[in-house]
Amino acid sequence: MAVEAAREFPGFGLAGRMPERVFVPQNIDELAAFLRECDDAGRAAVVFGGNTLQSLGNAPARYDVAIDMRALAAVVEYEPRDFTISVEAGMTVAALERELAERGQFVPLDAPRPSLATVGGTLASGWLGPRRARYGRSRDYVIGSTAVLPDGTVAKSGGMVVKNVTGYDVTKLYVGSLGTLGTIAKANFKTLPVPEVRRIAIAALPERTSARAVANISALGEEPAAALVIRGFANEIDGRDSIEGRMLLLFEGTARAVERATREVRSALGAAGVPETRLVDREVPSTFAHVIDAYVAPLGARSTTYCSYGLPADLAARRDLLAARAQQNELILETIEDLCNGDLVARVSTNMTSEFVVHIGDFEAYRRDALPRTRVLAAPGAIRELLEGWSDVPSSLDTMRALKARFDPRGTLSPGRFVGGI
Amino acid sequence: MTGSAVDDLRSRLIEAIGPESVLTSPEDLTAYAFDGFCSGPLPAAVVLPRTTHDVSAVVRVARATGEPIVPRGAGTGLCGGAVANLGGIVMSFSRMNRMLSLDTRNRRARVQPGLVNAELSRIVAGDGLFFGPDPSSQKTSTLGGNTATNAGGPHAFAYGSMSAHVLGIEYVDEAGDVVTVSLDDAGYDLTGALVGSEGTLGIVTAIDLRLMRLPEAVRVCVAAFPDVESASEAVSAIVAAGLLPTALEIMDRTIVRAVEEHFHAGFPMDAEAVLLVEVAGEAGDVEAAERTIAGVARSHGALSWRSATSPREREALWQSRKGAAAAFGRIAPNYYIQDATVPRTKLPAAIRRVAEIASDCGLKVGNVFHAGDGNLHPLLLFDRRIPGHIEAVAHAGHEILATCIAFGGTISGEHGIGTEKRDSLPLVFSDDDLATMARLRDVFDPRRAFNPEKIFPSGAVCGEVRAAQATIPAGTWL
Repeated sequence: MAVEAAREFPGFGLAGRMPERVFVPQNIDELAAFLRECDDAGRAAVVFGGNTLQSLGNAPARYDVAIDMRALAAVVEYEPRDFTISVEAGMTVAALERELAERGQFVPLDAPRPSLATVGGTLASGWLGPRRARYGRSRDYVIGSTAVLPDGTVAKSGGMVVKNVTGYDVTKLYVGSLGTLGTIAKANFKTLPVPEVRRIAIAALPERTSARAVANISALGEEPAAALVIRGFANEIDGRDSIEGRMLLLFEGTARAVERATREVRSALGAAGVPETRLVDREVPSTFAHVIDAYVAPLGARSTTYCSYGLPADLAARRDLLAARAQQNELILETIEDLCNGDLVARVSTNMTSEFVVHIGDFEAYRRDALPRTRVLAAPGAIRELLEGWSDVPSSLDTMRALKARFDPRGTLSPGRFVGGI
Repeated sequence: MTGSAVDDLRSRLIEAIGPESVLTSPEDLTAYAFDGFCSGPLPAAVVLPRTTHDVSAVVRVARATGEPIVPRGAGTGLCGGAVANLGGIVMSFSRMNRMLSLDTRNRRARVQPGLVNAELSRIVAGDGLFFGPDPSSQKTSTLGGNTATNAGGPHAFAYGSMSAHVLGIEYVDEAGDVVTVSLDDAGYDLTGALVGSEGTLGIVTAIDLRLMRLPEAVRVCVAAFPDVESASEAVSAIVAAGLLPTALEIMDRTIVRAVEEHFHAGFPMDAEAVLLVEVAGEAGDVEAAERTIAGVARSHGALSWRSATSPREREALWQSRKGAAAAFGRIAPNYYIQDATVPRTKLPAAIRRVAEIASDCGLKVGNVFHAGDGNLHPLLLFDRRIPGHIEAVAHAGHEILATCIAFGGTISGEHGIGTEKRDSLPLVFSDDDLATMARLRDVFDPRRAFNPEKIFPSGAVCGEVRAAQATIPAGTWL
C-alpha cells in the first residue's frame, strides 16, 4: 500500500513515509472542512507548499494525509499606492516577487528556490534570509493573516494597515511554526520600494587575507544589505572552482550610496591584501538567488546542510569547531558565513554516497553537543531520519507544548515535526 | 475584597518583598489608580519591585490570594491599559529602570522595563546608536510599557513599531516562574506574541532591544498647506512614489496654533495644515531626497517649504510635535484622542469624514497624526460641563472607528485596546478571531490574573460577544 502510494504521490514523502492521500483545497472553506474532517477522524496532516524546506522539520510522528496548498495562489488584494498586498498562501514566492516588481516593490523574504517555494511555506518555515539585518525579518512584513486551525476554525489577525495593535498578533505564532499550530491560508504584507541600484561585489579571499578582510568589511561606513563569505559551493554559485573563499557583498540603495559603498569596499579589501574585486551590476537578482539556493542545495544523497545561528563576532570560532570535526570525520565542509547576521551555513558531504552515512552520525552527535542553536536546513530523506532538526530545545518548551495543545489538541497538524517533538 | 482580605494581601506582600516596596496609604493608591485615559478603582496595594525575584514573589502572593496584577510603566497610556479594573495589585516598575547591558558591536541592549524610552537613546548616543520607536510620550513612558502596547511614534513609519525592535524578553509567568524567550531561540515566536499583549500574558522583567546606527545627516522640514486634505494627498503621493523619509507627520491649524503658543518652534500659524517631514541618511542622499519630496509637496499644493538646519531647530520642531498633547489644554477644557489607522491612500477621505462626523455631532476637532502610516489621531474637543457633550463625543468616537474600519483600517495603530476599545474589538474581529486570540490567553494566563478586563470585550466568554454600543467608561478623563 505504501509503495503504491509512493508511486501515486511523488514529492509528498517525508523521511521515507508516504501519505494515504493528497488533498488539494481550492478555497479556504474546503481547507477548513478537510482539516476538521482529519481532526475528527484522528488523521494526521502535513501541509505542503513547494516542498523546498520540508527538511527543516523532523519526521512526523504520524502522517496520513498531505495538503497541497498550491491551488490557493491568487492575489487577494493589491493596492500598490498603499504598499500592501494580500495573497493566498499557496502562491509561489516568485509569483509574488513578479507581481510586486511590476510596481517597483518587493518584500525581503529571500526564500531559496522561489519558483517552487510558496509564500505560506516560507512563512511557516520561519526562513531567515541574509538581508534581515538591513530590512528585518519576514515576520516584520506580515501585517495580517488568515489561518485555519485543525478544528476548522478560520481565524484572522492583524489587517491591511501597516501599523496595527488591535488584538493579539497571533500571526507571529504561525510564522516559524512549521504548520504545527494552524495553516496559513492568506498572508498580508507591507512592501518596500525596490532600491534604485543593486550591486554585488565579489572578491576571491586568499586565506592570508581573510580575517583582515572580514574585519574591514564589518567596519564599513556604508553597510551592505548582505555580506557573505563563501567557502566551497563552487557549482551552485558561479561554477568557478575555488579552494579559497570568496566574499560576496550586496549593496542596495541610491546610486550615490552604492557608489560610495563601492569605493569603501575596494579600499577596505585592498587594505586587507585582497587582489581583485569584481562588480556585478546586471545579473544581481539571479546571482543573489543562486547564493540563497545554495543554502539548501543537496549533493545527491551524500550531504547534509546545517545552519548555526549566533552573533557575527563568533562566526570564525564556530566555523573552526566544525572544520576540525569535519576533518576528523572525513567529511568535506563547505560554509557560508553571514557577516551581518552571524548565520553559519555548513554543508558536509563525502565524495561517495556509501561513505556519507558512515560518517554523518558522529558529526551529527558532535554538532548537537558543541553548537547550540544549530538546525538542519537540508538533508536527503534517508539521511534526514537520522538527524535531529534542532541542536537544543528552548527553555520555554513547556509553554510551547501548552500552545500546541490549545491550538491542536488532537495532534492533527504535523505531529512530532517541531522542536522538542511538538 | 473584604477589609480582612485586603489586610491579609498587604501583609503577605510586605512579607514577600519588604515594607519599603509596598504602598498601601489611600494617597499612594490614588496616584496609581489612573493612566492617560481614565481613572479606575483603587488597587488594594501598589508594589514597587526592585528585582525579577521580587516580581516572582508578588506573582506567587497574587496566585495564593486570587488577586489580579496590573503591571504599570509610567501610566502615560491612552486606553486605560494600566488601570486596575478589578482592583488587586498594581505593579510599578519605577525601581527597575536600568540598562542591564549594552553590546555596541552587535547593537543590542538589555534593559529593565522601567527604563524611560528617551533615556535609552540618550545613553547609547555616544556610541553612535539610537533606539527606533519614539512614542510622543518617550520622555516619560517606559520601555516596558512601550513593549506592552507595541508602541510606535513618528519614526515607526521608517523603523517599525516595538515588535520589530524587541529581540527577546524575560518575563514572569502566571506561576511566578521566570521565563526567557528570544528571537534567537528555536520554537514558536513567543517574543512576538508577548509584544503588544498589554500585560495580559506575563509580566515583563527584562527586554533585549535592537539598536540602530545614528544616521550621518538628518533634516526636518516643514511645509504649509491650504487644508488638511491636500497635506494628506501629498503624504499619499510621497508614500506611493516610494520615497522613504523617516517621518511624515501632519498637524492641522487648530493643533499648530496651540502648539506654537506653547512651544514657539516656528511652525507657520496661518496655514490650515502643516506637514512635518524628516529625512535621514548620508548627507548627499538627504539633500537629494529633500528636493524630491519638496517637489511632490509643491505639486500637491504646498504653500511653503522650510528646512530646519541646526540640531537645535530640529529638536524644537520635534519637541513641539511630540509635546502636542501638553498644549491641548489651551484649546479646550477636554479632549478625546483617537488612534485609528487606514490604508494610506484613504487618508484624505478619512480626514474629510472625520471632519463631517465632528461637525454633525457639534464638536470641534483637531488633527495631529502619523500620516505616513495612515495612523490618525483626531482630537475631539469639548467641554464636559456642557450637557450632552460627553454623549456626543462617545458617539463621534464610535463613528470615527466605524468609518476607519469601513475604509479597510482598524481601531488602534499604536495606543492599544486596553479598557477603552475592548468593546469595539468585535467591530474588527469575528467571534472565531477573538476565540483564537483567547486560546493564547488560556495558555499564558488561564486564571486571567494578569491585567484582567482588558483587550477582550466585556462579558466575553470564548469570544461569544457582540459589538457594544458606544460608551465611555466611568472615570475617563473627558
